[in-house]
Amino acid sequence: MTAEPTNPPVQKAAAATRPRLRPLDYVVRFQSLLGLILVIVGGVAFSPRRHGHILFLQPDNIANIVRSISETGILALGMTFVIIAAGIDLSVGAVLGLSSVLTAALLINAGWGLWTTLPLVLVCATLFGLAQGAISTRLHVQAFIVTLAGLQAARGLALIASGNEFININYGSGPGNAPPAFAVLGERLFYDTFPVATLVFVVLAVMATFVLNHTRYGRYVFAVGGNERAARLSGIPVEWIKISVYGLTGLCSGVAGIVHAGQFAFGSPTDGTGYELNAIAAVVIGGTDLFGGAGTMIGTIAGAVMLGALANVLQLNDVSAAMQLLATGAIIVAAAALQTYVGRRDGRSR
Amino acid sequence: MTSLLEMRGIEKRFGGVQALKGVDFDLRAGEAHVLLGENGAGKSTLMNILSGSIGPDAGDIRLFGKPVRFSSPAEAHAAGIAMIPQELDLVPGLDITANLFLGNEERTAWGTLAHRRMRRAASDLLRKAGVSLDAGRPVSSLRMGERQLVAIAKALSADARILVMDEPTAALSATECEHLFGTVRELCARGVGVIYISHRLEEVPRVADRVTVMRDGCVAGEAAADAPQAELVRLLVGRSFEDLFPPRAGRIGRELLRLEHARFDPAIERAGWQAARDVSLTVHEGEIVGLAGLMGVGRTELLSALYGFEVEGRWSGTVLVDGRPARLGSIAAARRAGIAYVTDDRRGTGLVLNHTVGENVVLSTLRRITPWALVSPGKERRYVTEALSRFDVRPKLPEALVINLSGGNQQKVVFAKELVSEPHLLLLDEPTRGVDVGAKAEIYGQLRSLTAKGLGVLVASSELPELIGLCDRIVVMSRGRTVAEFAAGASEEEIRHASTIGTEAA
Repeated sequence: MTAEPTNPPVQKAAAATRPRLRPLDYVVRFQSLLGLILVIVGGVAFSPRRHGHILFLQPDNIANIVRSISETGILALGMTFVIIAAGIDLSVGAVLGLSSVLTAALLINAGWGLWTTLPLVLVCATLFGLAQGAISTRLHVQAFIVTLAGLQAARGLALIASGNEFININYGSGPGNAPPAFAVLGERLFYDTFPVATLVFVVLAVMATFVLNHTRYGRYVFAVGGNERAARLSGIPVEWIKISVYGLTGLCSGVAGIVHAGQFAFGSPTDGTGYELNAIAAVVIGGTDLFGGAGTMIGTIAGAVMLGALANVLQLNDVSAAMQLLATGAIIVAAAALQTYVGRRDGRSR
Repeated sequence: MTSLLEMRGIEKRFGGVQALKGVDFDLRAGEAHVLLGENGAGKSTLMNILSGSIGPDAGDIRLFGKPVRFSSPAEAHAAGIAMIPQELDLVPGLDITANLFLGNEERTAWGTLAHRRMRRAASDLLRKAGVSLDAGRPVSSLRMGERQLVAIAKALSADARILVMDEPTAALSATECEHLFGTVRELCARGVGVIYISHRLEEVPRVADRVTVMRDGCVAGEAAADAPQAELVRLLVGRSFEDLFPPRAGRIGRELLRLEHARFDPAIERAGWQAARDVSLTVHEGEIVGLAGLMGVGRTELLSALYGFEVEGRWSGTVLVDGRPARLGSIAAARRAGIAYVTDDRRGTGLVLNHTVGENVVLSTLRRITPWALVSPGKERRYVTEALSRFDVRPKLPEALVINLSGGNQQKVVFAKELVSEPHLLLLDEPTRGVDVGAKAEIYGQLRSLTAKGLGVLVASSELPELIGLCDRIVVMSRGRTVAEFAAGASEEEIRHASTIGTEAA
């Protein structure tokens, strides 16, 4: 731009770049929160009533909702990092299964204590994720393929670790029993209202939000997903960022697997099947761009809660499982379409 | 020559902005007419009106002498006006034939695709457009220049009399450009009128018969294609060519970079990648050194190998940074040595387009303002605002999305990003590609004021007038070797001569 600021093209350019949000922009930016509010309002409106009480709002029911989302929610936190870095991780459900089996096997079959078992499970899950990231980055194989293979591998390892069996976790002392402290994961705090599993999710969600928004690492993840080559040119350790986000999904899967084992008091090599899709759904509904470079953690959290609340509303109204799946599918499509519509309108290339 | 098209008194207003203020434009049969103007001058608006994408507020359009008014691109297309957009509408995964017939596929009596018939017709179309390509080749296997030619053939398939090309050479190499110009001239010889939108002055005499220059929504003037560049610049920006370049500072300091018979061996030999074979040059503090040479002689490759960007390999020979032997070849090493790099592809490698100006500016120096790995919004904002003022990015809004900025301002954001790290040596590739003349002048000015503070610059450019106006010394490359060096004041002919001699010798 050459001329004085009174020049019309200059004004036009300035006007075009000033961030001015139209109502639809707010809808998209907070779509998962708005969706969550809609689901809650709908839940209250359509909830069955008994003795004048709204079942949807009963403390027991709410506790059920937040408990049911804690595992996929934890997976979705890690998934948000991976997707913002323009990757994908299909192995999280399988690694959750592997971790739960490993936890049960070490506690029951090997007779280890909590302080050795839990860190070891977390380290294994993290290493599994890092390995996938390293293979994908170093060998230049698409993450979709590598983590699809990882999904199979994790299931295979889970079968080996469990000896192809369901491992029940019994509490007590002596060999063949787990320390009773582990049972806390299936319990509720604060006069039996707040599930411990949910507390784990909340703590991790706060940490993930902080890392994504307020640390250099988070900023690098955005940059790598937005334009890998520009990030590399700027001296950002692109390879490490791309590998490390899979370490984060691995770690989250490990935590979720331990929570799973604790909640249900068993380890099953086939558990967690399909969880990766719920986690991805929560991230997408939360407004994170599957092409990378854009997204929010709060959106993912709201997306996860929304999916849980929706399933609950439908269950309370005795809607069939088939209908629940269809409704979830429709919401994912609607959320993605809304975003691309706004993207196209703003002339962002896709 | 008969008049194909006349546009009279075209006006168009977008909101509060008068984009076109009574523009007259005409096109004769068999003529290539360049429409020259900076970004925002109104070229695209005028052509969008011609092609029916938008309607004018006032004015008449006459096609073959008859008044017309198009309400859709399809109508304009049916009337014989074909437009080739800047982003080609070809499907890379399909072959040329399938692309030419996309949407108009011919079928056999069985309802299946008439592959052979379409292949023959496609070959005819290509031949008519003067393109010698096998119609069965997939578009993905074609180079950008060849794709451009296929797009022309496609546009002509509907018997177009008027062909509008929007900056067709933006992504082409020099030889591809020449080929394209040849095709344009052949089309003209057959009576097609070509409107050629451009902001590259140097291609005007090579392609056009006539040039119309637009500025601020008006026609600033019309000229014959062989008018001197200086005159076109005056029409474009309202000032003269020499005024674009700031005076040389002339205070040369210590030596920053010395290459003596330096050679770079890439770990993986890539086709079409001209590695540095024998390079000798120096860059001092306060100095701008130009890298000249024909397309494909290894200018870009030299810069990216010095910075270690997207190429692995080993330097041999003498490579001295600050007088000491340096092991270059990785980005980390280059940055430690105080070297920064601005590529010729700001959208692909310079910027994260979907992110804000602020996020882009801090990208390379985030480490510096995040001592505990934590981002402090207040500190970051002060840091960014200061950088934006220093590099005069407009608008000065850290939260604006980079993608919405003009080419010139995007380039300034790249400069800001790389220069806030206060490098000693800046490697610069085609610093003003796709940037309008006004922004060019500002970029030249900024480079000079930076060198006055001690920065050394090694700049590669395919625009000789730019190198001559800007540089203190010019090194000529040919086939990966440095073959000549000129002090400031060398003429374009001398330098051009040196670059071709080198080619023949090698």
